[in-house]
Amino acid sequence: MAFISSGYNPAEPMKDRITDIGPRSYEEFYPPVIAKNKGKWAYHEILEPGILVHVSETGDEVYTVRVGGCRLMSVTHIREICEIADKHCDGYLRFTTRNNIEFMVDSKDKVEPLKKDLAGRKFAGGSFKFPIGGTGAGVTNIIHTQGWIHCHTPATDASGPVKATMDALFDHFQSMDLPAQVRVSLACCLNMCGAVHCSDIAILGYHRKPPMIEDEYLDKMCEIPLAVAACPTAAIKPVKKTLEDGTEVKTVAVNNERCMYCGNCYTMCPALPLADKEGDGIVIMVGGKVSNRISAPKFSKVAVAFLPNNAPLWPETTAVIKQIIDAYSKDARKYERVGEWAERIGWERFFEKCNLEFTHHLIDDFRDPAYYTWRQTTQFKFTD
Amino acid sequence: MATIEFQGKSFNVDEDGFIESYSEFSEEWVQWVKKEEGIDELTDEHRQVIKVLQDYYEKNGIAPMVRILSKLTGFKLKHIYELFPSGPGKGACKMAGLPKPTGCV
Repeated sequence: MAFISSGYNPAEPMKDRITDIGPRSYEEFYPPVIAKNKGKWAYHEILEPGILVHVSETGDEVYTVRVGGCRLMSVTHIREICEIADKHCDGYLRFTTRNNIEFMVDSKDKVEPLKKDLAGRKFAGGSFKFPIGGTGAGVTNIIHTQGWIHCHTPATDASGPVKATMDALFDHFQSMDLPAQVRVSLACCLNMCGAVHCSDIAILGYHRKPPMIEDEYLDKMCEIPLAVAACPTAAIKPVKKTLEDGTEVKTVAVNNERCMYCGNCYTMCPALPLADKEGDGIVIMVGGKVSNRISAPKFSKVAVAFLPNNAPLWPETTAVIKQIIDAYSKDARKYERVGEWAERIGWERFFEKCNLEFTHHLIDDFRDPAYYTWRQTTQFKFTD
Repeated sequence: MATIEFQGKSFNVDEDGFIESYSEFSEEWVQWVKKEEGIDELTDEHRQVIKVLQDYYEKNGIAPMVRILSKLTGFKLKHIYELFPSGPGKGACKMAGLPKPTGCV
């Protein structure tokens, strides 16, 4: 398409420039019933999976229908969401912190037509466009990252494994049959954008090979001290090297014995790429939570050291996640999150019940605090 | 890598318009970036920011942190943005011939 100006003049970039205006105020987008009853809500109920009702002190009710969203969306899809909101909700809608979509109506008789409309919409391939669910003690949407769609440091994809995992856990999205809610998150490298470090189950992209060093370009593209300081294990040191053509260049040397393939140096220095088809894969972590309910927030802990990147369906990854959720759902008590369950029964029992292999990779060896993760007690249970 | 011809000189630049190597820096490069960044007139203050960046890079191998740049030049961040509308990274470092800023930017 030929260029169409928005009115911006590149010859005078600062002319008529509007800046520092911030986001629109959320109050501009309140449905009338929300605006009217703000701060006056008395109680709420989950009527069925995906459908909530909030009742106000004034007697007003608002019914919320929560539907899954794929997060990565086309404008066409957003327009369809708007069309539904126009049809049923006077043009109002919201997105949740886990990227689900919520449609709100102010009376009970508007719920059924909305539900029917949403449930009937499918993509040409057969997937639900707007599956209703994600409330209560089930599995809601997966917080995830860019993956191979957009990022340059990933060790796995994001959208692909998320679709594969949600397909495997779809029944739990549309029901509330677990002891407590299970939050699943994914990050495609251990920068951990999002919530993997604090989720019940976390999928994490992982490398297994040290970076390649492009000596010829390193000093030109990188600030060498930054690459040295980026390394958590001090595996990188600055060196001088003579290239084949005889020129002497500044570069770095990586001590492969100390490198644990975090990829931080590549983030700082484009001449240290480390992505690898066979080497890269997925780590599964479990037992994190952010709420303060009953127990304090927890970090998730590594439970499976490596699963291969098996695109497009990641069958090994989805099988392990299903295994953990099945064991948890069978064994945990009501209100118990995955981490609370594992800590109550003991991690040795967790590995036994989930039928996961315990390998030496799972034993913390990072600096002084690693010591506190070992067992300094005689209290343990024998396992098979 | 693209090549730019400007005032009889040629520069290798990446897709964001940063020079391939600091060693290729020259006065013509400053004039080219001035045009690209939409800076009307190069003042002594622009020159001072570039000089501080280059001295710091040659001595330390990294670009200075913003607070250090402010302290060494005596310009507040706001003033640096007035001089270089794209900011100290995309504007001033590019003009000074420093490598492209990296990390989660």
